[in-house]
Amino acid sequence: MSLYSLRNLAIEIADQQLVEGVSLEVEAGQCTAIIGASGSGKSLTCLTPFGLNSGQASGEMLLDGIDLSTTSAEEMRKARSQLTGFIFQQPLTALTPHLTVGAQLKEAAAQGDIVLDRADIIQKLERVGLSRADEKLDQFPHRLSGGERQRVLIAAAIAHRPKLLIADEPTSALDASLRHEIMCLLDDLRAEHGLGMLLVSHDIASVEGHADQLVVMDQGAMVESGPVAKVIANPKQDYTRRLIAATPRLSESAPVLPKTGKTMLETKEVCVEFPKPGWRRGKISAIQDANISVHQGEALAIVGGSGSGKSTLGRAIAGIGPLTSGSIEWEREKLPKRRSRNLAMRASIQPVFQDPIASLDPQWKVSNIVAEPLKNFQPEMLQTDRQIRVRNALNEVGLDEGYLNRNPASLSGGQAQRVAIARAIVAEPDLLVLDEATSALDPLVGAEILKLLAQLQCDKRLSIIFITHDIASARRLCHRIVVLDKGHIVDEGNMGDILKNPQSEITKKLIAVS
Amino acid sequence: MRSLLHPNHWPLWIVIMLVAAALLLPFVIPWTYDQIDWDAVRAPAFTGSHLLGTDEIGRDRLARLAAGTRITIMVAIAAALVSLVVGIAWGATAGWVGGKIDEAMMRFVDALYALPFMFIVILLMVIFGRSILLVFVGIGLVEWLTMARVVRGQVMALKQRPFILAAEAAGTKPLTIVIKHILPNIAGVALAYLMLTVPQVVMVESFLSFLGLGVQEPLTSLGILVKEGADDMDVTPLGLLLPGGALVLILVCLTIEGERLRDKYS
Repeated sequence: MSLYSLRNLAIEIADQQLVEGVSLEVEAGQCTAIIGASGSGKSLTCLTPFGLNSGQASGEMLLDGIDLSTTSAEEMRKARSQLTGFIFQQPLTALTPHLTVGAQLKEAAAQGDIVLDRADIIQKLERVGLSRADEKLDQFPHRLSGGERQRVLIAAAIAHRPKLLIADEPTSALDASLRHEIMCLLDDLRAEHGLGMLLVSHDIASVEGHADQLVVMDQGAMVESGPVAKVIANPKQDYTRRLIAATPRLSESAPVLPKTGKTMLETKEVCVEFPKPGWRRGKISAIQDANISVHQGEALAIVGGSGSGKSTLGRAIAGIGPLTSGSIEWEREKLPKRRSRNLAMRASIQPVFQDPIASLDPQWKVSNIVAEPLKNFQPEMLQTDRQIRVRNALNEVGLDEGYLNRNPASLSGGQAQRVAIARAIVAEPDLLVLDEATSALDPLVGAEILKLLAQLQCDKRLSIIFITHDIASARRLCHRIVVLDKGHIVDEGNMGDILKNPQSEITKKLIAVS
Repeated sequence: MRSLLHPNHWPLWIVIMLVAAALLLPFVIPWTYDQIDWDAVRAPAFTGSHLLGTDEIGRDRLARLAAGTRITIMVAIAAALVSLVVGIAWGATAGWVGGKIDEAMMRFVDALYALPFMFIVILLMVIFGRSILLVFVGIGLVEWLTMARVVRGQVMALKQRPFILAAEAAGTKPLTIVIKHILPNIAGVALAYLMLTVPQVVMVESFLSFLGLGVQEPLTSLGILVKEGADDMDVTPLGLLLPGGALVLILVCLTIEGERLRDKYS
């Protein structure tokens, strides 16, 4: 008999059927992963059987011999607190802000009537790979980095020795190399304690190699399930096939990229410093001596972990962020700093941001949003001509005229990102700076946006700077790659060469985890 | 605008009806607020054409109540608008420019906060004499401080949003960004605080009038009526209860409405 099993699970919230017909099993010491796009009901499937949200679950739910559908409130509390451990996506909000790390762990262990002394806690924190555990024990959660917080959360989730671990997107708030470390840690702990794990993710690549069973969900229904290797090698359903094809991998064949031309952009010893927050003196250096160049029709990937300064560099180039020293040259002409750039210089470089909804003014209509650059760059243009250009730009990103009068709030993430790209290309720039433009989107949508960008690059001979933490998706689009670490360029060269022969440790690590 | 018709906005409708009544009553009743009826001094309610009776020198109570409500609401709206304009201009400038200028501007606001503002208003009245304009200006200039702080916080949060950066990259001039992108996005919050400023101003104005520093006789306001009513309380409670009730109704309704708006936008 398996540790945890769901049969024909259905979930209702406020008389709306949100999940239907989900069946899965978790064996002790093994991992079952649920994969699906946002809104597919994967988190609901994890949390509702334990009464952790307002939904009503029906169907057969068995945890270690306890039937969760008929059990009393007291039994349910026991099942939740003693048999199960939870790990959530946002490690800062999942930790209580006013308790120190040690107190947090003590509280978690107390659920299973386990009393921890200081040495136990240190040992537990060291087990989850937290360095200098004896110091961090007395610190509050906000002092720790994202990766450290997630480690503390894992330590707290297993402190009371549960049998089942439920991990709801445990790594999607972390950068690529940390993701891999956390997943490996979870694997080790599972083997060590004989834990069963139910893992939720939107990303197939992060689950491969860690999970045993795979459940694919779409729009509240189970699409396919089975052993991971079998489902990935031989998907039966069309949705699963598309999902697998959309996930970028380094093992796939190199794409055919358009030819490149003369040098368009060159940066020379670009440095960016920020004043330290508050009243402290001194500066934080975000970028040091960055020399990069971009040719016509070329896509350059800037890759690095969080805090590597990749976005800062992109913003300095696009003229929407600070630049402390060094120079940025456009067609051998020096571009001035942020506020003193004139319209002609702005028109040739346009940015696209990570969060598509936040990059559109919520009070504006799509037609006005896309027309804004044209109004500034070509004020003499007739209104009818401008409307035609706006419509053409929307067509180019695959949106029809029905979107002209929509508000940003009514758009999905993928549609909003298309509108943002339409705004960026409407005035016919030469260079797009894409700051993690696909990483906030679901894999299927992200792959479509990548395809769209490749198309635009071909059609318009656009140059692209593609800022990302994910080498595999950069490879689908980019000719060359620059790897950043702590503000320094550590690797630079053609995409193929760097992948074959990485120079720095950071690059090797980034390639290994993709 | 249609959403204002929703039953949830009943507090606003009560205030609007009260103000409408105050504006229309002069056309209906035969007495003006400063007209003395020598035949009916201190008349009880329902004597002749005096529906609510007269005060201690024979002026019609209903006419004076309507006039008082008009003046109080007028002062409140004008002062709240002054505070809105000054507060948004000051707060948006500080939040947008940032850095040392922001520091200086906000420390100035802190300094003004530290002053006992009632004392300042009283001082102004004593120096420049009692005038209704001074009541407007004095109250408005004190009430803008909260608005400035709220607006500054909102602008600073908005400034980091990608759509502002995108507008900058699209070549939109800074002033245009503030007017077209930032102000429309803080309008909701500003409106909510405007709605909360009005009852505060009503309170301050009534307090000043009660002390005898507000508008000049024979012009009247709810605060003056309350004071007159309180002096005459042992003869008839009507003089205190009517303006006091109107005041309470306006304050409660506007505060409920304002807090609802604030919850909605922040």
